[in-house]
Amino acid sequence: MQKHKLILNIRMPVKKIGITALVPPELIFACGASPFDVNNVIPSSRKYPGNKLCAWTAIWKEMLVKKEIHVDSLIVVAGGDCHNALVDGQKAAMSGINTHFFFYPFDGDPLYMESQLHRLSEFLGGIKRPEKFKEIRELKKQGLIIDTKRCCGKLSSSEAFRTLISFSDLAGDLPGFTRNISTLEETDIDLGNRIALIGVPPIYHDFHEVARSLGLHIVFDELPYEFIRHGGTTIQEMAHDYCNYTFARPLEFRIDFLKKELRRRKVDGVIHYTQFACHHMLEDEIMRKKLDYPMLTIQGDLPGNTPQQIKLRLEAFREMLDRI
Amino acid sequence: MIGLDVGSTAAKMVWIENGDIKFRITSTHKWKELVEGIDGDNIVSTGYFRNSVPHRASLTELTAAIYGVRHYFPNAEVIVDIGGQDTKVIDVRNNNFLINDKCSAGTGAFLEFVANYFRIELHELGTMHAKADRIPDINNTCGVFALSEMISQLVGGYTKEEVIAGMHYAFARKISYMIPEARSIVLIGGTVKNEGLVAALRDVLKKEVLIPDEPQIINALGALKYFS
Ligand code: SF4
Repeated sequence: MQKHKLILNIRMPVKKIGITALVPPELIFACGASPFDVNNVIPSSRKYPGNKLCAWTAIWKEMLVKKEIHVDSLIVVAGGDCHNALVDGQKAAMSGINTHFFFYPFDGDPLYMESQLHRLSEFLGGIKRPEKFKEIRELKKQGLIIDTKRCCGKLSSSEAFRTLISFSDLAGDLPGFTRNISTLEETDIDLGNRIALIGVPPIYHDFHEVARSLGLHIVFDELPYEFIRHGGTTIQEMAHDYCNYTFARPLEFRIDFLKKELRRRKVDGVIHYTQFACHHMLEDEIMRKKLDYPMLTIQGDLPGNTPQQIKLRLEAFREMLDRI
Repeated sequence: MIGLDVGSTAAKMVWIENGDIKFRITSTHKWKELVEGIDGDNIVSTGYFRNSVPHRASLTELTAAIYGVRHYFPNAEVIVDIGGQDTKVIDVRNNNFLINDKCSAGTGAFLEFVANYFRIELHELGTMHAKADRIPDINNTCGVFALSEMISQLVGGYTKEEVIAGMHYAFARKISYMIPEARSIVLIGGTVKNEGLVAALRDVLKKEVLIPDEPQIINALGALKYFS
């Protein structure tokens, strides 16, 4: 009797891992899971959370606890990034979500970063698909090209922003994401005032379009740039790179980095977006002192369309840039 | 050509006739009466409703304020525009501006709220302030709580006039936090007609306070100047 070898082709479902800020997506994919940036649903969510300081953390916390966002596990970026996230992350953990807390080194120590990446990898069950590192490195190179194109008017700032911000989790779907970025169409945009948008990303889903309609072309998005400029194909390589995530480092470090980027992109003005109840607001006076550019500071709170009051500030800022 | 400033409480129209500045002011909801028979092509607009009225070109009230103020004070350093719903501080030297539009305290709306409470006309606040002998402390920076503090001071024995003067000081302090270092400031906006508030601001700011003849029409004039 011929023996038949029974081949069981059972695919384990890919685990969906919620992330609250920059967590190396290459490591999550390499561990056989799929990242899901819980912030990305917020700007168009129209949610008004109950107990809140910063609406970003309050909304993802509420959506996670109420199971409006389903994740298998959660990685909260705490140390060196955001203490509101640390508290709201613990609330989410108390609701029963398997949660890991990820810390960046304030002093940029690559060894500390490496130990954090090892712990993260353990939490995710270890590296199973190392080929993902290279795949994502190639994708991030595309990201850098997209960033350069919008900087010279070959891509609209809103489209570039939407794509670059998605690099935090690569939409949880590498083939789909690759297809999407290949469909981006080049245009020829007459760049008026070249603007750097620093701080956390605006909570308004139409901010870049609104800015553009008022004559402000955003050529630099600070946080999304962090999503594309870091990477690595081993834990050690990643540690040496991600330890320079500017938002987690001392302000002087971040400002030096910003100065170079603003010069390189020949910006005419800076918009500093701050979020209500966010500690980054305290950095505004330092940014104003150290960055020698006309600067507009705006503060957002709840998600939705860019409100009229913010539009007035943008328009007045444009008029001011036209004047000088 | 006319400059039209349609703000949250008043609409102002400015035109130049034989070199003289002429103007008309009405409440916002009657703005149409101002421009009756005037073609939109001859209007340059500014103010909150600048894009809702017929216009050939429009300008934000922040830029309009700079051009309007320069007509009277060419070397103005800082402009403080106290409007019905917000207060704007423009640092002309450093190309910077700040807007308080989150809280009614420190805006014309708060003064109106207080005048309504005391059942007096808005313009009487200034004359009542002048009759105050003492100035009670009103520390709250929130409009609603400031009113309850004012009531406590009334119950505690201060006169209406004194409490109103105290309120003007609280208002002035609230605005002072927004004002940068400067030798002098220029005050504009309808609220500036309140002499009690201006006296409190002079005292709190300890700076030279300049006020153009018609502080309410400055932005309409500025729009006109910008486009002509
Ligand atoms: S906006 Fe500020 S407080 Fe809110 S999540 Fe980001 S860093 Fe934290």
